[in-house]
Amino acid sequence: MIREESIRIPFRFAAGRAGSLFLASLRDRKQILGSRCPACRRNFAPARPYCPECGAEKLDIVKLGPGGTLLSWTEAPGRGVFGLIRPDGADTAMLHRVIGPFEGLRSGMTLRAVFAAERIGHIADLVGFEPSAGGTS
Amino acid sequence: MTERISVQIEMNQSWRYASGAAMERFADGLRQKRIEALRCGGCGRRYLPPRPVCGNCHLHLSEWVPVADQGVVEAWTVVYLPFLDGRTGEIRKGPYGMALIRLDGADTTLNHYLAEADPTRLAVGLRARAVWRDELRGAIDDIRHFEVMR
Amino acid sequence: MRPAAIIGTGQTDHAKSRDDVSQPELVREAASRALADAGLRPSEVDAIIIGNMEMFEGRALPELWVGEGGFANRKPCLKIATGGTSGTSSCIAGFHQAASGVFDIVLVVGFEKHSEGQTQTGMALTDPFWDRGVASGALGNFALSISQYMAERGVTPEQAARVAVKSRRNAAKNPHAHLKDANATVADVLASKVLAHPVRLMDMCPQSDGAAAIVVASAERAKKLCSRPAWVKAATTRHEQPYIGDIDRRLLSMRTLRDASRSVYATAGIREPLKQLDVAEIYEPVTYAELAWYEILGFCSEGQAGRLIEDGVTEIGGELPVNPSGGVLCANPVGATGVIRVAEAASQILGRAGAHQIEGAKTALVTGYGVYAWADAMILGSEP
Repeated sequence: MIREESIRIPFRFAAGRAGSLFLASLRDRKQILGSRCPACRRNFAPARPYCPECGAEKLDIVKLGPGGTLLSWTEAPGRGVFGLIRPDGADTAMLHRVIGPFEGLRSGMTLRAVFAAERIGHIADLVGFEPSAGGTS
Repeated sequence: MTERISVQIEMNQSWRYASGAAMERFADGLRQKRIEALRCGGCGRRYLPPRPVCGNCHLHLSEWVPVADQGVVEAWTVVYLPFLDGRTGEIRKGPYGMALIRLDGADTTLNHYLAEADPTRLAVGLRARAVWRDELRGAIDDIRHFEVMR
Repeated sequence: MRPAAIIGTGQTDHAKSRDDVSQPELVREAASRALADAGLRPSEVDAIIIGNMEMFEGRALPELWVGEGGFANRKPCLKIATGGTSGTSSCIAGFHQAASGVFDIVLVVGFEKHSEGQTQTGMALTDPFWDRGVASGALGNFALSISQYMAERGVTPEQAARVAVKSRRNAAKNPHAHLKDANATVADVLASKVLAHPVRLMDMCPQSDGAAAIVVASAERAKKLCSRPAWVKAATTRHEQPYIGDIDRRLLSMRTLRDASRSVYATAGIREPLKQLDVAEIYEPVTYAELAWYEILGFCSEGQAGRLIEDGVTEIGGELPVNPSGGVLCANPVGATGVIRVAEAASQILGRAGAHQIEGAKTALVTGYGVYAWADAMILGSEP
């Protein structure tokens, strides 16, 4: 016997100190923010509360973008194309949506960030990254 | 403190669970308003719901025994606090009665609803009988609730 | 196996809502405080254990998101998710890791963000064929068991209310407590609204946001790093059957807690708990449970728990203070709650319990409780 059971529960997650800065910046300024660890001298995308390498908590906020470098990508059937994109100025990559055109996608390619017209302080305020005009690095 | 943002997300998913043979037989019984327990050949304990092994003896369970749809209220309460049902996202408002009922023929107790929400009319030791729904789908809530036999 | 001890603890100030921090930031607060208390840098941690449940906060793999907050990157890191016992089980697992000889310094962090989810709802989503059709959460389950306890042993709401008063007043001395009231009275408790008969608002633990952490060290490191380590003398856990109906007379008999406590008493040489224990931090989700468990834990004979609290035996200043921190009734961030019990008991032996320090505490009992009848027990002592 097979029984189908559903779960429907609402949740409300706090973005916290660094997450709130990051989301507010997407919403208000269409600006991607990262964090710089002065000790490790690395820029992490997105902004975060402490350095993943050394654990330090006093990180500097850095502005990233306006686009980034496509490192790799894949198509999720029925859901679109997703890629690892390293925002300009960052040492790490973010997983996000790649917006077409998809012909000629290659690793190392320059992409431009695309923002939603209506933004609320949510990761989807950043719709994805698209090939910039003439976009090869 | 600078602005703090919270993100709202609703978990909304479904799964398909396999019941196993014992629960399938139990569910078939419920569709005919028949309740059965599995009796352990070692300790004699008669278990509801069915399960493959006696947790105390570790013996495989295979002997089905009949269980009545009425029994003794061994524990009770009246709940006033609303409860969010995770299956539907709907809120069940109080007050509603609940009990642990030892059905005649079983050794475990059954946690179920009581159709009595006045705590002055409830006590350990009362007898209660099942009130079945009109539509039976082979689930323990085919019993809508238990009513106290007065 | 070699001895191991707790050499540092850290807690957040538990609250109804910590929406100023994300889950990993909350974990970081407690982890940092524990390491500071132990005098260690994050790089000196050999292994990390995280205590939290997926369904309570509705996000997969808690340790993935929060591990970094617990300094876990590139270190051995495991999660323990065992309902209410997550915290105590995580601490016991940390003890096993340090005592095994494989790791010298283990950091254990438990946490919960009650405010973000629907813990009562999530925890009821167990067996899909049975439990989900009939559920009212931990509150309803306790209320059911309490009706049996009252019918069989005559415990009264007034006696239960005394547990709440003790908790609130003790919590007034605890900077980490969520609920506190130095002037709480039995009348306050009996006037609070009924949630599920006979459990009133003030009988029941709160839903809190918070995190707690401990640092467990091998004997050799503990002796070098700490002047008064809290040695783990004994620790055990007990699992139980899957349905509430499987467990007869749950509060009255709880064989898991009885067996676990007997086991740690035997290992640690405790024959007379009231005399030999200096302090107990037990996991009491509701006032009546604390009373029932006085009997199961051997603090008094059956039916005498009400008398024990009426006589003040379990107050700070009594023969055996129970929950001088205020207990679960004053703070309940579920994944952290068991760690708080261990941290509070360890603090007593470390001599760092501040305003609620029990003078000269040398031997402490800790218990954990989860779901229907999972039970953990530990004895901490001042000697290895």
